[in-house]
Amino acid sequence: MLSVKGLKASVGDEPILKGLDLEVKPGEVHAIMGPNGSGKSTFAHVLSGREGYEVTGGSAELDGEDLFELEPEERARLGLFLAFQYPVELPGVNNMYFLKAALNAIRKSRGEEELDAVSFMRLMKEKLKILHLDDSLLKRPVNFGFSGGEKKRNEIFQMALLEPKLAILDETDSGLDIDALRIVADGVNALRSPERSMIVVTHYQRLLDYIQPDHVHVLAKGRIIRSGGKELALELEEKGYGWIVEGEAA
Amino acid sequence: MNAAAHQRTGQADAAEAFAGWLQGLGGNGDQNGSGGIDWLESEREQAAARVRTQPVPTNKSEGWRYTGLRKLIEQGFVNVDEPVTALTPDDIGEILIPELDAHRVVLVNGRFSDVLSSLGELPKGVRVGSLRDLLESDPASVKGVLTRIAGEGRHVFASLNTAAIDDGLVLQLDRGAIAERPIEVIHLSIGMDEPRVAQPRNLLSLGDGAQAQVIERYVSLGDALYCTNSVLEIALGRDAVLKHTRIQQESRNAFHITGLYLSQEANSRYAGTNIGLGGTWARTDLVTRFAGEHAECDLKGLYLAGDQQLIDYHMDVRHALPNCASRETFKGILYGKGRAVFDGLVYVARDAQKTDAEMSNRNLILSPNAEVDTKPQLEIYADDVKCSHGTTVGQIEPEMLFYLRSRGIAASLARRMLCLGFAGEIIDALGPESLRDYVAEQVGQRLEQAPLE
Ligand SMILES: Nc1ncnc2c1ncn2[C@@H]1O[C@H](COP(=O)(O)OP(=O)(O)OP(=O)(O)O)[C@@H](O)[C@H]1O
Ligand SMILES: [Mg+2]
Repeated sequence: MLSVKGLKASVGDEPILKGLDLEVKPGEVHAIMGPNGSGKSTFAHVLSGREGYEVTGGSAELDGEDLFELEPEERARLGLFLAFQYPVELPGVNNMYFLKAALNAIRKSRGEEELDAVSFMRLMKEKLKILHLDDSLLKRPVNFGFSGGEKKRNEIFQMALLEPKLAILDETDSGLDIDALRIVADGVNALRSPERSMIVVTHYQRLLDYIQPDHVHVLAKGRIIRSGGKELALELEEKGYGWIVEGEAA
Repeated sequence: MNAAAHQRTGQADAAEAFAGWLQGLGGNGDQNGSGGIDWLESEREQAAARVRTQPVPTNKSEGWRYTGLRKLIEQGFVNVDEPVTALTPDDIGEILIPELDAHRVVLVNGRFSDVLSSLGELPKGVRVGSLRDLLESDPASVKGVLTRIAGEGRHVFASLNTAAIDDGLVLQLDRGAIAERPIEVIHLSIGMDEPRVAQPRNLLSLGDGAQAQVIERYVSLGDALYCTNSVLEIALGRDAVLKHTRIQQESRNAFHITGLYLSQEANSRYAGTNIGLGGTWARTDLVTRFAGEHAECDLKGLYLAGDQQLIDYHMDVRHALPNCASRETFKGILYGKGRAVFDGLVYVARDAQKTDAEMSNRNLILSPNAEVDTKPQLEIYADDVKCSHGTTVGQIEPEMLFYLRSRGIAASLARRMLCLGFAGEIIDALGPESLRDYVAEQVGQRLEQAPLE
């Protein structure tokens, strides 16, 4: 599904990703962990096409398509979804209008018809319920004045609506209390399927208790320096990153 | 050239430049509805004399620095003479606001049109009609208001309009009268063989405690080249409430000038929203004077200017009395080679304690060739006041754009959504819903055509 090889990217003159390899197969969940500033969000942004990064080497393909040849909206229509670490507030942009525009753009690219108003509402209500979100959210501007937890749940709500092939969740668990975490995790688990893959970026084992990963990777200084099964996350929780990062440096 | 000589050429220019605007007018009286009304004749003559003696503003004149007049003068506009009578209600179907339930008044090229207006049943104490008719039937009812509120006006265009007073809309609400349905006033312009200037003179007068909602629209049929030079005088009695929406959606070849002069008695409330979308050159002056304490004036605005468009708002709000509030909230979206001017002056006199004045002008610039000149000014001579002003000129935030695109939304639609979001603060405050939808639609259409680079 996703194949990243030797990916290098920099911001200005500063190299951030320094040769990153990652293979994700259909249905797999990969966790990426790593110290602050190691390049996790950069990796997510580069894959989804955010401006401000220069890809200086390597490749990234989604289902055989070169992501770097595509505009951000084309990547989304191909089935890539990023749940933002910091969801952006859009004052004045109505949430419902936004969701409709997004859903219709994606449906259209799949050759599906636009949903009529009634089916759209029904779909929204169904997905809102999964995330325990209130209808009133739809009338508000996108993320504007949302609490931290609402913002994160709104990201997963969008994911539920858009049904991507590959979802990257960038610290969706940060700032969530235990109840909200369970709701988000249940939402994510409900979306797991043999066709859908996920990359879950997190600092905490507690999320991985709910969303069990198939693989765990440690990203440090712009490279994946260790990969393993879900027991690696437990080890990291116990010992921190120091031992691997230092071992790597030695 | 010395100053005196410079001024002389200026004067010569003014008389020459605006000769056509005064054409067909003059002391004989029978051309115009004001014939035989001494006080009005005298006002008109004085105004005509001012036109002859005042210099044409140049880009060195206060208030005209960014708004050149050459393009307008070059057109050689001539005053409209014959009324347009050929139009039927079917002809204006396309310019109506869908589902707007309102008393409708239509003026064509500055002349009141009975055929096109559909007033319906007006509530008790509410009168709507043509200035021309009223000057014939009951001139006393406008004495003390007409020309009194505007006075000499802010500049030569007000004098031109006064010199040409002939027809326009008059809306009068008696003490305590309430108009529940909005009153829509459509200033319709259609092109003539030569470039014409229409100079409607409009009057809204609300007695003590009266309430109304007025929607004024400046609209064209086709892409006519013409000029509208309108003056609107508004008198609000004690406790009166006026909600006023003005939509300037003239043809892209049109020139538009409005002078709005507002006088507010104690405890009255004025809420005005100015939507500026059309014209190639548009200048609006909003002038507020408080004649009593505890009055509130809320001025909102939204303007969009693209290629070949200049949209200019000047505001002059004077607090001479204590305890009044004024608020200006203007937002602009500039694209292509569009240009806009925002010049807001709030003056707080020494005695105007407890004034609450707030002014903000925010602009979104979508292209490197677009430009806005924004100049909010507070002049405060009282010491116990609450005053603030702020202005911003910015671009679409890249993170916002990326967020939308990352959800599959095309860049062009994403930009439009963000622009509409920016404008939402002004549009969402409009009522009724049909008006709000209409303005959102009009703004959306313009953004759709805008080259967004
Ligand atoms: N736009 C930018 N301009 C300058 N530096 C940047 C930019 N984006 C990222 N960086 C730098 O790149 C490095 C990696 O940042 P990134 O946000 O990818 O880290 P992260 O692993 O997601 O960290 P965290 O766990 O704190 O979220 C950091 O040193 C950061 O300062
Ligand atoms: Mg991060």
